[in-house]
Amino acid sequence: MAASGAASASGSGVLAYTVHKWSSFSSTYLPENILVDKPNDQSSRWSSESNYPPQYLILKLERPAIVQSITFGKYEKTHVCNLKKFKVFGGMNEENMTELLSSGLKNDYNKETFTLKHKIDEQMFPCRFIKIVPLLSWGPSFNFSIWYVEVNGIDEPDVVQPCLNWYSKYREQEAIRLCLKHFRQHNYTEAFESLQKKTKIALEHPMLTDLHDKLVLKGDFDACEELIEKAVNDGLFNQYISQQEYKPRWSQIIPKSTKGDGEDSRPGMRGGHQMVIDVQSETVYLFGGWDGTQDLADFWAYSVRENQWSCISRDTEKENGPSARSCHKMCIDTQRRQIYTLGRYLDSSVRNSKSLKSDFYRYDIDTNTWTLLSEDTSADGGPKLVFDHQMCMDSEKHMIYTFGGRILTCNGSVDDSRSIEPQFSGLFAFDCQSQTWKILREDSCNAGPEDIQSRIGHCMLFHSKNRCLYVFGGQRSKTYLNDFFSYDVDIDHVDIISDGTKKDSGMVPMTGFTQRATIDPELNEIHVLSGLSKDKEKREENVRNSFWIYDIVRNSWSCVYKNDQAVKDNSGKSLQEEEPCPRFAHQLVYDELHKVHYLFGGNPGKSCSPKMRLDDFWSLKLCRPSKEYLLRHCKYLIRKHRFEERAQTEPLTALKYLQNDLYVTVDHSNPEETKEFQLLASALFKSSSDFTPLGFSDVDHTYTQRTQLFDTLVNFFPDNMTPPKGNLVDLITL
Amino acid sequence: MSSSPCSFKNRCVSLLCCTFCQHVLSSRGMKAVLLADSETELYSTDIPPSNAVDFVGSCYFTDICGCKLKDVACLKCGNIVGYHVIVPCKSCLLSCNNGHFWMFHGKAVFGVNRLDPSGMNLLLWGNLPDTEEKESEQSFSLPEEECIR
Repeated sequence: MAASGAASASGSGVLAYTVHKWSSFSSTYLPENILVDKPNDQSSRWSSESNYPPQYLILKLERPAIVQSITFGKYEKTHVCNLKKFKVFGGMNEENMTELLSSGLKNDYNKETFTLKHKIDEQMFPCRFIKIVPLLSWGPSFNFSIWYVEVNGIDEPDVVQPCLNWYSKYREQEAIRLCLKHFRQHNYTEAFESLQKKTKIALEHPMLTDLHDKLVLKGDFDACEELIEKAVNDGLFNQYISQQEYKPRWSQIIPKSTKGDGEDSRPGMRGGHQMVIDVQSETVYLFGGWDGTQDLADFWAYSVRENQWSCISRDTEKENGPSARSCHKMCIDTQRRQIYTLGRYLDSSVRNSKSLKSDFYRYDIDTNTWTLLSEDTSADGGPKLVFDHQMCMDSEKHMIYTFGGRILTCNGSVDDSRSIEPQFSGLFAFDCQSQTWKILREDSCNAGPEDIQSRIGHCMLFHSKNRCLYVFGGQRSKTYLNDFFSYDVDIDHVDIISDGTKKDSGMVPMTGFTQRATIDPELNEIHVLSGLSKDKEKREENVRNSFWIYDIVRNSWSCVYKNDQAVKDNSGKSLQEEEPCPRFAHQLVYDELHKVHYLFGGNPGKSCSPKMRLDDFWSLKLCRPSKEYLLRHCKYLIRKHRFEERAQTEPLTALKYLQNDLYVTVDHSNPEETKEFQLLASALFKSSSDFTPLGFSDVDHTYTQRTQLFDTLVNFFPDNMTPPKGNLVDLITL
Repeated sequence: MSSSPCSFKNRCVSLLCCTFCQHVLSSRGMKAVLLADSETELYSTDIPPSNAVDFVGSCYFTDICGCKLKDVACLKCGNIVGYHVIVPCKSCLLSCNNGHFWMFHGKAVFGVNRLDPSGMNLLLWGNLPDTEEKESEQSFSLPEEECIR
């Protein structure tokens, strides 16, 4: 039994418990084994009979307590039965529990402690029961084991009793608020007033009571609009806006042209090129690529401010720069205004010991000069000649990281039969100051926890704030990889975010596609534009672009948009100009200062015209609804309701209202809004006889409709101002 | 890989159970010693015990020979009970071997000798069919055999 006397000065200590209930156990791995911590005894654990859900343990605390943390002990070695994912719930009884934690254990021998949710609105709440629900073990086919559990918190009655009182009062208060909401919705005015008088509990913020009064009771719609306008201007809708999903806004960039022709004033069709952006000067740099028949060596700069391309060089080789190339990589040091390029693809016919050298160049923007840093990086301890690798710049520490890519070798010249097997390049660091290379990770088959598997066509991004490289996707020979890991460059440590085998929250959603990714260190977001699959069979089924956002903090992916070819083919040309067609070998760069993406060119993957490449140029902004939009939308909702009410009694003035007041709240350039507006007039010919009365109450159609509008408008306000979201009647189960 | 005198026909067939949780791992176990290290006690089997164990960790090589190995753990308790020879090395293949690629550590399993259908004699490998036995045949195992006595 745990000693509650071990409480520290703050009153927090180990809480005594018994194992109250369990889903199953196997062999001698009894649930109560979790009470003792014997890391050297493999049998000192609870182990479930199966891994079929639900599996759980319910702990009963000796007395109600504020449960602040939970500690899991483990076996002295790694063990496949350790919990990779689990949840912890708590409550005063077994039936009604709140989620306190959702997390996972590392597969090692270290004890791990997790803070549990123990406050609502800054107020501590008590628990009597703690439920541990294993969701995933480290070996997917194995059962769940828990070796040792310790719960910490406060069980001093002096502290817990007031929390218990608060907790029951809180529940009572929420119940009363639900009643108040119900009474008002059904116009039981006397019951509402007497309950409110007796309990003095507020259903909502006075501002919303005012809104209810004006909208539902008085029907003073002008005053409602004023109130909403004030709320928007006071920033009350900001919380709502921040919770909305992004909507992508593509727009094709038509650069200014200086020459009449225009052919020479902007980069031509290509794929496999490289782009970087200097966010300070808002300049996009583009170099090289493959135009369908040959490698390119032209070098361009696009000024966002001037909306104009300028050609820095028609052939960089003539200016002591890199030769024509494609499938190379480029990165920019925005502090020192320098651009680096490494790697290239060479056709097998031109590969020889001389051409297979991995040259490495730096371009200085201010002096417009190229410097050859190395004739062959592999001779300097760096990577061999690779293509489809990744390269990231760490301006702060003046370092470059490069990972993966396939190593180019001469065909058949080496007698070793293994040379037929493709080889991949590892993770290297280049110190720009000392101009030295260092290998950080060789290519490995993920043999150990710190090992990483090399690949091509993957994404790698450097997070300048938490100083980690994020790597995901890509392929290795015919295998598409969908693991996701980070590498901390300062402490040389790999952290697996998702191993790609399970459908957990970090699982990369669009594998096997030639995706392009960018990072926003400020918003802690990774953006991914998935492109065409290189796999021809897959291509036919999945020809679509999709845009994904990974939230680094929440470890979750969300899809911002998807389009598929079917829609495109039907609607013809018009849609093609609204967003870029699916493609691969394109380039995407991100201006994290102005929050704009830029996309150029690529290969549309048309099997009928294999040499076709694209030269279109797009910007992409991710937008959330604006304050102005919400205000207009709210006005539209109010006026639409006002119109519908009036249509019942005075159809002629209603029609006038529709044509004037309601008309101005509609965005007529938006087809959906326009269509909805056009359908509104039908209300003039509708009777209200299809109204279903609300049970026992005497509320009429108008009251019900106004209440519905009120509930809609209230949703835009912050949670702490609104009535409870739920409805009392929904608690009734049949 | 394991060996002993080059004839395996006269060896007993054992039912193999996990020492930790008594889970039945194989009904076709053979007691053996390691080719490269005769001190180590082992059991082996020929048919993949796929319903009883699963792979854990990564492939590795031993210091003793060049076989490529991967550990297997008991599906019930998760403890490591043996290993699978993924790629045998040349010297092991050339030595006299029983052709078994699934090994169990002597300390992680215990074997119970099986009896032949008459219930009078020990079941020998020479009398055991090469094909995989059905689940139902496997489950006649321990308690029933004890009852016969």
